[in-house]
Amino acid sequence: MTKYLWMNAKHLLTNSYLIFWSILFIEFWVFMWAYVFGAYLPQMEEAVRLYMASAYGNLLMLSLSGAAITIASTLLYGSKSIRYVTKYTRLSPARFLIENFVSALIVLLTISAVMFLSVVGVFHAKFGFTILPVNPVGLLFSILLGAVFIYALAFFLNAVVVVLRSPKSSSFIFFLPLIFAFTAYAALWVDFGNLAYVSPFNCIVSTCYYYFSGKAPPTGNLTSMVQNNRPLVDVNMALASLIVWSIILMALNIILLRKMRGISIEEIRTA
Amino acid sequence: MIVCQNLYVTYKRRQEPVLKGVNGTFKGKSLILGPNGSGKTTLFRAVCGLTNITSGKILIDGKPVEEIYATKGVVSANFQEIYSLIDVKAFDLIRLYTDLAEGDPQLTLKIIEDFGITADFLKKRKLSELSSGQAKIFCTALALAMKARHVLLDEPFEELDPARKGRMVNYLNEYDGVVLINTHETWLLKNLQDWEAFLMFEGTLHGPLMVKDLLNARISMVEEPDALLRLRLSGRDINLVKGKGRGKLLTSLENLDKIYEIAEGPKA
Repeated sequence: MTKYLWMNAKHLLTNSYLIFWSILFIEFWVFMWAYVFGAYLPQMEEAVRLYMASAYGNLLMLSLSGAAITIASTLLYGSKSIRYVTKYTRLSPARFLIENFVSALIVLLTISAVMFLSVVGVFHAKFGFTILPVNPVGLLFSILLGAVFIYALAFFLNAVVVVLRSPKSSSFIFFLPLIFAFTAYAALWVDFGNLAYVSPFNCIVSTCYYYFSGKAPPTGNLTSMVQNNRPLVDVNMALASLIVWSIILMALNIILLRKMRGISIEEIRTA
Repeated sequence: MIVCQNLYVTYKRRQEPVLKGVNGTFKGKSLILGPNGSGKTTLFRAVCGLTNITSGKILIDGKPVEEIYATKGVVSANFQEIYSLIDVKAFDLIRLYTDLAEGDPQLTLKIIEDFGITADFLKKRKLSELSSGQAKIFCTALALAMKARHVLLDEPFEELDPARKGRMVNYLNEYDGVVLINTHETWLLKNLQDWEAFLMFEGTLHGPLMVKDLLNARISMVEEPDALLRLRLSGRDINLVKGKGRGKLLTSLENLDKIYEIAEGPKA
């Protein structure tokens, strides 16, 4: 490993945009879920557990999607350097991708841990009892899969902007993860049916929900008062979907990395 | 050794190429002189792999530039944009890049301190927060400390005072490897007399000549049979003639941009 891995992880973790949008902004929604949306929730452990599972899954998805914007932006600003270092230093394109991936993963997992602790802590303060995930190893696995997908997507979006030499469109393209995440967030009110497997964002929520609560979530419309006879998510299908999406995006990233010539910082600033 | 073969570079489709069939072999210490906008920086960017080659080839030690990956110690350059991998303090950038290229961090600091910039200062500022002169020194020092066989320096004397220019000349003369400098300033010629010189105008490379031959070269607008070089600028022929005679001394031009004033002026 080179110094790049830890320096990049430290740089991302101290990035003020990431701290604000992925942590502080989402912390606000943790309080909203606990104290405003959950104000009339019965003080029953099982009910709170399902509600918390939904809160953690949805807020984690939004938080990681916000981090994707920062990851993609830092890659865009360093794109000329990436081209140079992968040619003329010991950091090959594959090694760069691995080190960038690991450093981003450290950051995404740190965010996930912060979200987890705050959801558990704030819900404890509101409801007076501590609820921990039913399957912590499974939850960790689903968070890891979600983080891998989010990283692959962030890198892919950056690669598209760089290869198409379209820095002007970056402000829209880089926000796609957050736009998709809010679309998936709509599953609280809308039943996506089988589309829940197509959207990796819904899959992140579903798998987190399952491993946190021990129960498969419905394919949508989570806030509905009618709880019976709703189709449930096949968690194995959701996991498979996340894995397939991540593999496809990572394969595309490896191909696009060799085609990237980079965009200069001046070009990005004047776009 | 860097070899360019019939190199064309176009930035946007349907636009005129910036490099128009560049041919040249750079194997020692070479100076590329040319006015602003002549394609010098684009040539360096192409060698660094930072820009697409439209047609032609660049070979570095016999290997096409497009096929070079993860090969440390081959090419270093002083473009600020290649030292922007992470937006960290300048001091950390030295640690990062010398680690990636297995260069010499102490040498980088020695060169930088020789130009009056301290390590403590670099610990407080990012590269983007340095003045353009400081950033140029920083990037040039890093390029020289990467221990690369080929160093490409884009206008390394820009914004340096005369004393610092002299120090930079010493570092370049002492460097053990192929050094390519591009500049539009002519004062350098008397300090780099043993170097090869290429002239670049409107995307075309001319040369090589020896720098010492350029020192007393004159620019003539009439046809000279024993001209060192014949150029076509702004639709007119220009002859570079060695020795005494008609025409203005090349070194009397502060920079190569002024050659257009001669080319567009009356015949002399």
